[in-house]
Amino acid sequence: MKKRVPIVYTIRGCDACVKLLTKWDAEGIAYEERRADLSQEILNEARMYGSVVPIVIWPDGRIEQGFEGALGCFI
Amino acid sequence: MLQTTTVVTPARFEQGLHYDQFMAQAKVNRDKFELYYNDPALSAEDISFFKKCVALPNGPAKVLALAEAWCGDVFRELPTVVRIAEATGMDLRIFLRDENPDIMDEFLSNDGKARAIPVFIFYTKETRYLTHFTERSAGAHAELAAIMSQVRSQMNLPVGTTLATAPQASKQAFLGEMIARITPRFNDWRKESIKEMRALLARALCIGDQP
Repeated sequence: MKKRVPIVYTIRGCDACVKLLTKWDAEGIAYEERRADLSQEILNEARMYGSVVPIVIWPDGRIEQGFEGALGCFI
Repeated sequence: MLQTTTVVTPARFEQGLHYDQFMAQAKVNRDKFELYYNDPALSAEDISFFKKCVALPNGPAKVLALAEAWCGDVFRELPTVVRIAEATGMDLRIFLRDENPDIMDEFLSNDGKARAIPVFIFYTKETRYLTHFTERSAGAHAELAAIMSQVRSQMNLPVGTTLATAPQASKQAFLGEMIARITPRFNDWRKESIKEMRALLARALCIGDQP
């Protein structure tokens, strides 16, 4: 069975998003990135879960916004 | 602007996008730009003031915007400046932040650490720098700090706790409460931005900030 990974909505120009991805990449954490800066459809999807990116949807359903104390970018 | 030399020459300025070109390349938020364009938060008195500035011999004739369509502060503030340019005849050119790092580097904020946008830079007709506005008004920044303080008290967190230093278990609640309090303030922040741009221009041109 394929292991479920967190889904993360990002905007690549957002410092908090870049910091989160950099940390996860360094730690070898697998994730599915959905870029809200590239598609209105994905941006609308992200807005269903929160108001600032990064937005992480954990496999257990928990939703987190921002990263380590950074407010992130309003979407 | 911190540098005495600039990459924004008259020829470079001409390379910026017109608003319709910016919108044509925007992949997201066209609805938001349209919404704020149709409700620009500008009063007739604001327009009179900006017209008065433009009419001065060394007044603003050009405005350069550093922007990206995905940014919430941009879709909230840029349409106002588009309306000011349309009403006054100022030449507005838009440069994408991520494709123009050399311009962005001249207007970094937070002690040179942040590439915050939008930035609106006002120039004379000879492209001589007058003043610039970054991201959001000082009033909005102060209100953000006040909101953080209120949320901290409400959550019984120690004085000085920030989003970064809040206990892990409280971070999402802290952030969620801040977002809930910030979002309804956006329209007033747009008006604060206009007020601040008026004050910045008044200071640069040595005039009063009334029409």
